[in-house]
Amino acid sequence: MPERVVLSIGTKKGLFVAESSKPRRSFRLRGPFGPGVSVYSTLVDERSGRLYASSCNPFFGMKVLVSSNGGSSFKETRSAPAFPKDDGRALRNIWSLEPGNGRKELWAGVEPAALFRSDDGGDSWDKVPGISDHDHAHKWQPGNGGLCMHTIVRDGDRVHLGISTGGHYLSEDGGRTFSASNRGIGAGFVPDPYPEFGQCVHKIARHPAAPGRLYIQNHGGWADRPGIGVLRSDDYGHSWRSIASGLPSDFGFPIVVHPHDPDTIYVVPLEGATRTCPGGVPAVWRSDSAGASWKKLTKGFPKKQSYFTVLRDGLDIDEAKSPALYLGTTTGQLWIGRDGGEQWECQFDSLPPINVVKVGMI
Amino acid sequence: MPQVTTTTTLHVPSMLRGTCGGMRRIEVPGATVLEVLEQLERLHPELHRAICDETGAVRQHIGLFVNTDHVRDLAGLGTRLGSGDSITVLPAVSGG
Repeated sequence: MPERVVLSIGTKKGLFVAESSKPRRSFRLRGPFGPGVSVYSTLVDERSGRLYASSCNPFFGMKVLVSSNGGSSFKETRSAPAFPKDDGRALRNIWSLEPGNGRKELWAGVEPAALFRSDDGGDSWDKVPGISDHDHAHKWQPGNGGLCMHTIVRDGDRVHLGISTGGHYLSEDGGRTFSASNRGIGAGFVPDPYPEFGQCVHKIARHPAAPGRLYIQNHGGWADRPGIGVLRSDDYGHSWRSIASGLPSDFGFPIVVHPHDPDTIYVVPLEGATRTCPGGVPAVWRSDSAGASWKKLTKGFPKKQSYFTVLRDGLDIDEAKSPALYLGTTTGQLWIGRDGGEQWECQFDSLPPINVVKVGMI
Repeated sequence: MPQVTTTTTLHVPSMLRGTCGGMRRIEVPGATVLEVLEQLERLHPELHRAICDETGAVRQHIGLFVNTDHVRDLAGLGTRLGSGDSITVLPAVSGG
């Protein structure tokens, strides 16, 4: 039985680990690990109890950090993902770390957009050619954050990838081949409002018990193309439709699914121009109806003058019976939303800018 | 005539010495900066990875100096090395 709730918090200045017993009354903070180096992806691997984090240094290159003692200390894996020498691309960042099928299998989404897989807990990595060398790859364009593969969602032989800007790619053969699967996903920055690929998908989420239903937080906020920012698929990601009606903005970065209800989802709407909370009033919005309607969750958040930005991996939810959400801001605050987001409190007020928060129970 | 191989002293900054067994200086053969880096990849691959990306390009925030001159002000990686020359590896200035 899991006894501890562990948060891995990737910041601009390194990795922090916060730990609590299951009641989650308070968290003890450790770190920074990999000090001074920005962390964009972390993983609390509930299979093994290991913690992983990328540590991508613009000076000295890419590293993957691993902890086998619950985040008390970290060491580097033997190697990090790297393109073959004759590929011509050089790794700039690691945006996503996800567990694979095997106990030591890991997947990594990187910048420039490509996918790597490890069978030995991150000590060696192989490029996954079906998407990394896809015919579309040379046409993908970097968004503001770079040309990144930031989301890997796996469901047996089905693999969903989120690329900014590339869109949603789907494999149904375990990752051997991939196809752009963006029907209904709009783009506001190209003449064709619904291109085959090239969308600026921000995050993809789904509940493991309902793999056919997926959600996307897309790059919305376009006055001339309203409603393209928050989307749902009911056919395993083959087609998508807007569920943005009722939100104050369809721009945002993260999207998260409740651990016990595939129809309950959370987003953090932001103003498209500033990428901050509308009106300076922070709020997480929850839908209990797969996006048919939305409820604003603000209890405990500041009521004014708080211009939070929450990045694509800045929101996660634990799997407790009454789950808590964890929200990290680029102004260094880590908030806990107890009772499924009904009540918020600031757990850490002055961390470095937060890129990613992941929670696990180990 | 036996071929004479130039050997250059490579000065390693403190933050990278963990990648080469703690050495402050390494003697590396090579007639140009590029040849030195190629030899470094063979001799100390982890240090080489910290200086160059997988395409072989020197990382954006790394400065390579031949004696006191940045290689960009010389002939880049093609800069020829002579007896007594040294290469210093330094991280670029940055803030934030």
